[in-house]
Amino acid sequence: GKAAKPKPAFTDEAVQTLLYKMTGLDLHKVFRPVKKGLKPPSYKLMTEAQLEEATRKAIEEAKAKLIMPPVLNEREPIDDVLAEDKVLEGTETAKYVFTDLSYSIPHRERFIVVREPNGVLRKATWEERDRMIQIFFPKEGRRVIPPTLFKDENLGTVFQQDRHEDVLNMCIAQFEPDSPDYIRVHHRTYEDIEKHAKYDLLRSTRHFGGMVWYLVNRKKTDGLLIDMINRDLLEDATSLITLYHMLHPECQSAKEAKEGKLQGVDLIKVFVKTESQREGYIQLALQAYEEAMATSSAS
Amino acid sequence: SPYQDRPWEYLESEEYRAIYGDNPVWHGYHRNHKGSVPPQRTRKACLRRGRHVGNPCPICRDRNLLVDFRNVKLLDQFICPHSGVIFHPIHTGICMKQHKRLSQAIAQAQDHGLLWLQVPFVPVPDEDFSNRHAAVGKTPPAPALKGPDRAWYPWYEWQQPPATKVARMRRLYRGFLKENYPDTPPS
Repeated sequence: GKAAKPKPAFTDEAVQTLLYKMTGLDLHKVFRPVKKGLKPPSYKLMTEAQLEEATRKAIEEAKAKLIMPPVLNEREPIDDVLAEDKVLEGTETAKYVFTDLSYSIPHRERFIVVREPNGVLRKATWEERDRMIQIFFPKEGRRVIPPTLFKDENLGTVFQQDRHEDVLNMCIAQFEPDSPDYIRVHHRTYEDIEKHAKYDLLRSTRHFGGMVWYLVNRKKTDGLLIDMINRDLLEDATSLITLYHMLHPECQSAKEAKEGKLQGVDLIKVFVKTESQREGYIQLALQAYEEAMATSSAS
Repeated sequence: SPYQDRPWEYLESEEYRAIYGDNPVWHGYHRNHKGSVPPQRTRKACLRRGRHVGNPCPICRDRNLLVDFRNVKLLDQFICPHSGVIFHPIHTGICMKQHKRLSQAIAQAQDHGLLWLQVPFVPVPDEDFSNRHAAVGKTPPAPALKGPDRAWYPWYEWQQPPATKVARMRRLYRGFLKENYPDTPPS
């Protein structure tokens, strides 16, 4: 048969454009007021041209805020032994950690080694590395010992308060993108959102792309599709389905769409008939949307 | 106090409602001090050596109000709803010891996720995540381990000493060695 095309990655341009379109750009949500020290408000009088210039600048700043964090595989644990000196056995009672503190090298190229009491000189594990780098080169928003709210028991309380975006922002500040804790917290958040259909909490944030990627890879797109149709976001629905076809080209709806070169509502209908589990709900939502369109175009 | 294990229940009870109503716990508390400007620090503690002072602070005067990270409703009353900052003890009137315990409880509650916390915006890190560098990737094994010995130092495994040394030892201890004492120890 023909050679299989490599599976599209998260960083591909086509994928990124689709995800960025789906995220939307609600300026009121991106720049919403934040609790901080009070000061009197400042008013500015602007002409139309100045107002447009200010909105353009605001849109650029919002785009900088909406850059998606990377989606990586879990890092492989480090367990390399550099030397074994049995003469040192019994001389010390504690481990010694030696960190290279040169300022100009990136943290991922920094050598951190541990001398154990039994004389073994090994490279530090990822957790030890993160702790040491945070002690010597503290980063804003990151603590040496991660907060207890990242444990599974406490994540439930935070999700009940609808603070998924805060959790994800804290996770980006605290952990490295390829650490198992980062991946675990993100997966937990996405699962909770999908269970309670709270997709709107992440729209217009930088986490929406990651969530869509997670759901499409695991074929759990029904709830999201219903939510999009209910909010009359048909372009987003079509881009979601095109992304699904890009990632799963061997499924039936992908083949039919490619043959018929379907667009818009037809694409959604083909997808619903072949691939979705909650057909009934999506048909109902589509019907409601079409009725709304008919009444609005009639009146 | 009857609410020792579940301090949050007191804030929902009839008793609390009758005493405080809808106001926060520190509403209406007046410190006794000379002059119009109060001292810029409240008293150090309301309970010293087992004795209560006159006019105790709003938390110490009610034995059912316990400062715990789990009763979020009480902790919320001491945080400004607009700026998210803990009120100064001059504003609420609590003693310094209770203020310290309250700040610790608020930090603990924020740590557990029970209280809202301002999260700074940290931009996405822009570095190479491939982990190819020797510091975090695999290093090839040391040359000492590749040879037939497979030990870090040659003396980790037993080596046959030179014959002259063996002969010297034998001559030195010849009166004490057993008969047929071997040159190589049995493995």
